[in-house]
Amino acid sequence: MALTNPLSTGTSSIAGRGEDMDVIVIGAGLAGLMAAVHAVNAGARVRLISQGWGQQMVTPGWISVCDRAEDDVIAEVRGYAALHPEHPYGRAGDDAMVAGLESFRSAAEAVGLPYEQRKKDGHNMRLITLLGAVQRAMIAPRGIAAGDLTDLRGPLLIVGFAGWRDFYAELTAGNLRRQGIDARAIEVELPDQNRWWDYWPGDLARLFDSAGFRESIARQVAPHVGDAERVGFPAVLGMDDYPGSLDDLSQKIGRPVFEIPTLPASTAGVRLSERLRRWLLRKGARVQIGHPVLRGVVEERRCVGVEVASLGHPTLFRADRFILATGGVYNGGIQTDESGRVWEPLFDLPVVIPEVETRADWYHDTLLIERGHPIHRETGLRVNTDLQPLDASGEPALENVYATGQLLAGFNPLTDGCAEGIALATAYKAVHTALELDA
Amino acid sequence: METTSVDVLVIGGGATGAAAAYDLARRGVKVLLVEQNDLTTGTSGRYHGLLHSGGRYVVSDFDTAVECITENRILRRIAPFAIEDTGGMFVATSQDPADFPAKWAQACAKAGIAAEKLTPEQARAAEPALTHDIAAAYRVPDASCDSFDLNHGFITAARTFGGDAWIYQKVTGFLRDGDQVVGAEMVDTRTGEQRRVHAACVLNATGPWAGVVAGLLGLDVMIRLDRGAMVAMNIRWVNTVINRLRPPSDGDILVPVGTVCVLGTTSIRTEDPADKRVEVWEVSKILNEADPVVPGIRHGRALRAWAGVRPLYEPPAELAQAETGHDVSRRFAVIDHTERDGLRGFVTVVGGKLTTCRLMAEHAVDVVCKQLGISARCTTADEPLPVPEASPRHYHRLTKRVDQQEHGELPGALICECEVVTQPQLEAHIASYGDQPVALDDLRRDLRLGMGPCQAGFCGYRAAGILQRVRQTTPEEATRALGDFVSERFRGVRPLLYGHHVRQFALDELIYRRTLGLDTLLNLDQPQAEEVRDGAD
Repeated sequence: MALTNPLSTGTSSIAGRGEDMDVIVIGAGLAGLMAAVHAVNAGARVRLISQGWGQQMVTPGWISVCDRAEDDVIAEVRGYAALHPEHPYGRAGDDAMVAGLESFRSAAEAVGLPYEQRKKDGHNMRLITLLGAVQRAMIAPRGIAAGDLTDLRGPLLIVGFAGWRDFYAELTAGNLRRQGIDARAIEVELPDQNRWWDYWPGDLARLFDSAGFRESIARQVAPHVGDAERVGFPAVLGMDDYPGSLDDLSQKIGRPVFEIPTLPASTAGVRLSERLRRWLLRKGARVQIGHPVLRGVVEERRCVGVEVASLGHPTLFRADRFILATGGVYNGGIQTDESGRVWEPLFDLPVVIPEVETRADWYHDTLLIERGHPIHRETGLRVNTDLQPLDASGEPALENVYATGQLLAGFNPLTDGCAEGIALATAYKAVHTALELDA
Repeated sequence: METTSVDVLVIGGGATGAAAAYDLARRGVKVLLVEQNDLTTGTSGRYHGLLHSGGRYVVSDFDTAVECITENRILRRIAPFAIEDTGGMFVATSQDPADFPAKWAQACAKAGIAAEKLTPEQARAAEPALTHDIAAAYRVPDASCDSFDLNHGFITAARTFGGDAWIYQKVTGFLRDGDQVVGAEMVDTRTGEQRRVHAACVLNATGPWAGVVAGLLGLDVMIRLDRGAMVAMNIRWVNTVINRLRPPSDGDILVPVGTVCVLGTTSIRTEDPADKRVEVWEVSKILNEADPVVPGIRHGRALRAWAGVRPLYEPPAELAQAETGHDVSRRFAVIDHTERDGLRGFVTVVGGKLTTCRLMAEHAVDVVCKQLGISARCTTADEPLPVPEASPRHYHRLTKRVDQQEHGELPGALICECEVVTQPQLEAHIASYGDQPVALDDLRRDLRLGMGPCQAGFCGYRAAGILQRVRQTTPEEATRALGDFVSERFRGVRPLLYGHHVRQFALDELIYRRTLGLDTLLNLDQPQAEEVRDGAD
């Protein structure tokens, strides 16, 4: 891997707007949202600015910390981080990782969204994908966690909705059976079927907020339950009424229900984002979603503010400290172009890039190759243990800017099974170093 | 073995073969066309969509230019359903040779190509995306052409006149009676079934495969295979065909086709008639050549890249004299193997352009008819083709599909949002394959499933679920069908993975790996394979 792009600096002629903040967080993914939560909890004045919502909107919804761990997940990460200090887990440190996970669960709980994990052994759960694969993850929303196959003793019933395009129960059940898991599928009717031709998961989830709707579904499912130990649905079992809708549906069907993540948009992500946004607003933070940050304004190796595209003209927002949670290649925190250039768009921070001749080698020939493609594995910012991005000489590029999540070099968020764990660990660490808090 | 008898067997379901089948049928000849894949899957389908006015060749190859303008007028008249009258422009920038435009305009006048000189202001008023650096601009009667629609039109018309076409029939050998070819043997590439077709004459219209097919008879047809890449941008950057006003070279054309804008092309010698590679440097070259004419297009969003193989005919010097006897231009050739090789009942047509496909067919069919002693003359230019109403190709018009969807005429779940393909359409189409195997890629070709910006990220899974339900396939098969489909889509977009497309494809990869666990499921069979190996050791 090689470093490119010298650091550029520049002042701004644009007048500042709004009060000066202690912290500006850029990005509204898991890292950005949790960085804002940590900073608010530390008593800071916080502004969260983001072009859009982050990757939680499209992921399955579970929290991958170290999916490959066979037994104790935390122990596995600790061991790995000790051997790989350059890895984001190594940079953030074990304690930040544990605290980051714990504080995420508390924050989610505080907004009424319980996330579960295997407390008794600390292992990963074994969760079901849309296509019926078994995927490991450490933490998941309650409905998805209820599908953990580890303690499964009896058959599964998988329920689909006739005519709904985003879930094929027989395919899920069939692939589960191939793996020795006793599963069968049924389809139930949705009332007024002509309306469903372009329904997204969120549209269905809002219907499941209604007790009457749940009743109509439960009535159709109940006769098919038989010896099933649990009943699986696509992950659309409620939006505003969640997780109350889960308990109610379980009670009506007479078996525990669980959820299988769907194609994007992720209902779990929508719920989490919206509730954390409202929580931040209630706590006095400013939240600006839909406002792209154009660039950082740097004076003498300090960022003094960011220019934001809003209200028809750029506006400068000032703060003492800045948390970059803009994401990686997928999210726009790292940009690429046809000539093979790879860059960080806000501060032109030096980016680690794949050591290849041309962009032809950003990808391997095989799509689903085991460790993924160089453009995702070998791209990102190099940081110190305070999570400050480094310049070419290895010194912090800016005194008061901290980087988190998928913006960091050293892992492939698509294949390594740790994307959410790194987001949570680094968000925690970045805020604690930025605000000089005791970890 | 199943045996059929016809007067003429046409091999090749591209534009020339289809036009020849139509021509023969109109002359009252009993004709059968066979194609090794689906129709329009070779060079004709891997085409940029430009119906030439002839302007592009008028300086370098005057005869071809004259053929182009003549055929351009004929195709507009006989196949209006396949053509959008976009008009064309030739634009020179200050970087292009300054003496070329005058020479070009003179040649156009001589060839009968109406070239109307425009001021830079007029050119930009018509096409605001054009550069401000316009040294010369002319309007010409170019158009854009949907080669799938055109081909389907020829085949439908051929059937109306009693002809027929079979697809997925690969010719494996010929039937001979002394120095006379009397038919061919073929195998159904989907079922493995073998067939024999007796014919008094066989027309080899196989484009880049012409040498391979003639080789089955021990004949030597020299063609030069030349691969060209094209890039489709996600919007119509221009509504007029834009040609670079300079001697023909790489990256000269922008063609508005349907909802996209196709940029082309490159020229690379290849030995493989099935060569579909697109190299990253070709994409860069095409974008960088288009950028001076339409500034900023280099940073636009490229949707797909593909390559076609041009079958260029270059007669060996000692044969050149014989070729001129056939009264054909240098750009395409009809080879009567009776004269050249002493073999009767076999005719090869090679070279040419899609724009001149009807003319190539006419010349080839003239030679075929001469061999058969048929005196009927070509009438394919005389009246319009019947509009192929029942064709699945009407799905190609995205605006029409959106309109139908919004007004309830395309009921059912929307499976492919990018290209507006619904569940009932998919189900009906899968059912139409009967017992034949059907891949998701077949549905893509027929219905445009997965051809939009997301390149199957969402609709791939949905289509696999529907395929399993309709065909009652095993979950392994459905999962593998999905794996094959998304891998194929990946190959198509790989040279374009930068900028927005890297992000789009990262979402697709996220869905395949994390949401679906497709990689995990495709690997389920791997450990078993290892066990077998261990056992063998």
